[in-house]
Amino acid sequence: MTDPDKPGLNRRQLLAGVAAAAATTAAAGACAVPRSAVKSWDMTVDVLIAGSGAAGVSAAIEACHSDVQVLVVESLLNFGGSSSLSGGVIYAGGGTALQKALKVEDSPEEMFKFLSQAGTTHPPLDKIQLYCEESVAHFDWLLDQGIDYSGQFTVAKGLPMGDESLYYSGTEQAWPARELARPAARGHVPGVPGLNGGRHLMETLIPRALKLGAKFRSQVSGEQLIVESDGRIAGMVVTIDDKPMNIRVRRGVVLACGGFIHNREMVKQYAPQLYNCSVPWGSAGDMGQGINMGVGAGGATLRMHEGFAIAPIYPPENSISGILVNASGQRFISEESYHGVLGHAITYHQGGKAWLITDQGSSYTFEQDNFPLAAKADTIGDLANRLGMPRGSLQNTVAYYNRHAVNHNDPLFKKSSSYLRPLKGPPYEAWDISVDRAFFPAHTFGGLRTSVDGEVYNSFGEVIPGLYAAGRNTAGLPTAPYIASGLSVGDCTFFGRRAGRAAAGGAN
Amino acid sequence: MIRKLIAQSVLLLAVSASVLAQDSAIPVGDPERGRLVFGPCRTCHYPDAFMGHNFGPNLHRIFGKVAGKQPGFDYYSQTFKQAQFVWTEQLMFAWLENPGAMFPESRMMSRGVPDSQDRADLIAFLRRATVREVSLP
Repeated sequence: MTDPDKPGLNRRQLLAGVAAAAATTAAAGACAVPRSAVKSWDMTVDVLIAGSGAAGVSAAIEACHSDVQVLVVESLLNFGGSSSLSGGVIYAGGGTALQKALKVEDSPEEMFKFLSQAGTTHPPLDKIQLYCEESVAHFDWLLDQGIDYSGQFTVAKGLPMGDESLYYSGTEQAWPARELARPAARGHVPGVPGLNGGRHLMETLIPRALKLGAKFRSQVSGEQLIVESDGRIAGMVVTIDDKPMNIRVRRGVVLACGGFIHNREMVKQYAPQLYNCSVPWGSAGDMGQGINMGVGAGGATLRMHEGFAIAPIYPPENSISGILVNASGQRFISEESYHGVLGHAITYHQGGKAWLITDQGSSYTFEQDNFPLAAKADTIGDLANRLGMPRGSLQNTVAYYNRHAVNHNDPLFKKSSSYLRPLKGPPYEAWDISVDRAFFPAHTFGGLRTSVDGEVYNSFGEVIPGLYAAGRNTAGLPTAPYIASGLSVGDCTFFGRRAGRAAAGGAN
Repeated sequence: MIRKLIAQSVLLLAVSASVLAQDSAIPVGDPERGRLVFGPCRTCHYPDAFMGHNFGPNLHRIFGKVAGKQPGFDYYSQTFKQAQFVWTEQLMFAWLENPGAMFPESRMMSRGVPDSQDRADLIAFLRRATVREVSLP
């Protein structure tokens, strides 16, 4: 790369450097290839989908209904993407079949209030509205594909270890969310024991796509889009066994090959706060290739710095009776908030540093790998000294908290009374919940800017003809803070379907 | 088919032998650093028995086990189903440098841990975490 600040370069040297950099970038796949540079086509399909996670496969299923040839290419050996490693949670509501069966009251309006008000400023309202309006039908679609859900509900926080299929997967019950919208359990998770519902999800969706006629090819990497002189996407350069091949696409390309958490240079550039988080979370394919291909063809991006940053301080739920403090010894959030909301506050607003202060009743009593013990003492003052906090600050925080907790009151963050009790009973312990010391998984939410039909916009707000994207190749429903599990895979399946339909030329 | 099996067995034996020969090659590891190096592996693997299998097999007492034979885990690749070798720290250390290079058919969706000190730390963590007995909190 050239360094524009480097002294002593004349203009010619500088231009030569720029040209070299451009050539390097093109070889790496960032720039689109003009159609005129393509000498021959190695293959032709109607719809080409890059990526075999929930977004790509949902797109394939719907595209097949338009009776077109669909090819799904996957850069890795195995299909399923990060979705297959996930919990498989789909955030759904408004009165789904499962909610009704379990007598959970909900409405699209309450779901919309939660999703539009409990998270980021200026969320994507068009996508949220459509998602809420059609959530019941989308869940029926998941049932139609053959995904198994049990008739079990749990009030426990966190992804169920058992076979329960409905739980509060987000921050609905924590303040301030519970005052913005009536809480409802909306985490719909396949009814399989353990934390890997994503495998069941993808083991169901992939055979469905195959049965409908979609072709799947693994170890095929998308490198560059091919663009006609009028800007329409004509195809994609892929590599198979290290050889470049040109795939011509008659109707549309769907980019659905994941986020970029494993492309560390990209994360450092675009999402520096996430770069500091200790654990990149996702399949090996999350290298940002789809986003870069889209940008190379003129696609605009949104929210590239945003992502999910997770601080799993519970289970066990007794830890929620502890208090989370920052480097100034002050509380900054309700400890019962969803892991993604806690993680976001620490990562983006507290300089990446936080400690959970526990007493005898709220301590972790078993060996765990999430949070190292930073200090232990018989008094709060000694604990604060050992943590190097400003004199008196943590004592003030605990005294204020205790004074109100004894009356089941939390004036600052309105923690639910079931978790509220004074911190008393040494030893007091401080667990390090900092992004670089704790088990702090992160992945990315930023990506291409798309319409509700997955059409990719350029930076002037115009649609790039023939180019669609879905899942974590796009900036979709998941924004930071991540307010509920299931929004990402929910977004992948729902908007993946729409992108597939649109790319195939069918009516949405 | 049989020829292929034999070829694979020979390959695996050769791998083990060459790795075992490098016994002293693992740098001294720090299990506390390894705790975080292991973080991304937790997408699919747990070191504690009570957590069971996930997308990948459970790792409790993995060192000393014959690869690819854990009851209740039905997703091994052919390579691991047919494997005869025993997981040792040395073999794990070698494999994780570039998982796709040693066992290309593995279903593990990992980019590996190329840095040798990180890998040594990871092994030091696994040495500790895979033998502890922790029950559900």
